[in-house]
Amino acid sequence: MRCTIVPPHMLERVLEGSADPELRALALRTLRLDAATRTERRLAGPVTQGNGRRDEPWRTVKDAMHLEELPGKTVRSEGQDPTGDPVADRAYDWLGATFRFFEDVYDRDSINNAGMEMVSTVHFGREYDNAFWDGAQMVYGDGDGRLFLSFTGPLDVTAHELTHGVTQYTADLAYYGQPGALNESMSDVFGSLVKQHHLGQTADEADWLIGAGLFGPAVRGEALRSLKEPGTAYDDPELGRDPQPGHMDDYVRTHHDNGGVHINSGIPNRAFHLLAAELGGHAWERAGLIWFDALTGGALYPDTDFRGFAAETVRRAAARFGEGSAEHGAVAYAWTAVGVAP
Amino acid sequence: MKVTVVRTGGFAGIKRKGRSDTADDPVLRSLVARVDLAAVRGRASGRRVPDQFSYAIDIDGEAVTVGESDLTGALRELVHHVLDG
Repeated sequence: MRCTIVPPHMLERVLEGSADPELRALALRTLRLDAATRTERRLAGPVTQGNGRRDEPWRTVKDAMHLEELPGKTVRSEGQDPTGDPVADRAYDWLGATFRFFEDVYDRDSINNAGMEMVSTVHFGREYDNAFWDGAQMVYGDGDGRLFLSFTGPLDVTAHELTHGVTQYTADLAYYGQPGALNESMSDVFGSLVKQHHLGQTADEADWLIGAGLFGPAVRGEALRSLKEPGTAYDDPELGRDPQPGHMDDYVRTHHDNGGVHINSGIPNRAFHLLAAELGGHAWERAGLIWFDALTGGALYPDTDFRGFAAETVRRAAARFGEGSAEHGAVAYAWTAVGVAP
Repeated sequence: MKVTVVRTGGFAGIKRKGRSDTADDPVLRSLVARVDLAAVRGRASGRRVPDQFSYAIDIDGEAVTVGESDLTGALRELVHHVLDG
């Protein structure tokens, strides 16, 4: 959250109490500037949908003990010592890193912005090659050990799943077709941003991959998806080839995968990367903020499509950074480059 | 009877396909006898769970698509038999 360093009441005291004309002039100018900024903020809407507090996480890790039954047995609650099970302890740590990102960067207090308990169940099933958000909690398999390693491994997997919760409590994008691909893209974008934030990376330092470290050593591929270059993450004799398009011309129409939600998410993913690359620096600060504003700002509907979301990001960029600002122009450019007219 | 199962979605979004024929798969024959696709369709919640697997099952031209949470009983056994067998 942006804060002024010297609070207005202190500047007012300088004005009242100081005889030094230079100091008085400086204080007066700062107050005027501050007031103008506050007016600008009011016009632009709330700075975030946050609560202004620095909140703390409420984490619970459960163990399904290789059954496919939820929620499993609690093995670690908030503040408790490590369990000694590296899988459970990593799930706990990644929930913490994801919580800190949303809280410290966007002032969002957990999944529902009201301090909701974050529950992760680990060791779900046997050789289970998946992780998901079931509407109330996160669930992780250990992988089969050959094609897929444990889904608790990469931080961006946890951040991806938790973001499904954030989406559910905000825009609630339907999990089908274009709204579903947007839902997936939100999880990939913030999944990658959480990792970048954790590593302190700038847009050009980041790998922009989802699921790096998830494949077993024999798989030919670096990750499951690439926001930077959709369609290039893997090409393996057994798993096939990364099917993601990066442009509307290649949009995949299918009834599989809830209308291709994990396929067509490549299009908004690439738009986000183009924006972040254009703006440079830490991607969560400007590009991510615009996306977060759009997702949580209350203007989206469950059936919002790519075009509707693009238009909302353009509006949000203008509201946040000004009409005609570099950010405003870059958002419009990014969507046009992937064939979506905002 | 020809049986095809296509698993899509999941966090990875990687498609997996399996195919078998009851003519040379006696286990499949007994599973098909226990599965009623019309009843599955009627019972399915239709709930879409982010990143859960989606299964398209085709038994001799009769098809149904269900999410993992609706995959229970004999249908679940059939799906795993065709995909992993």
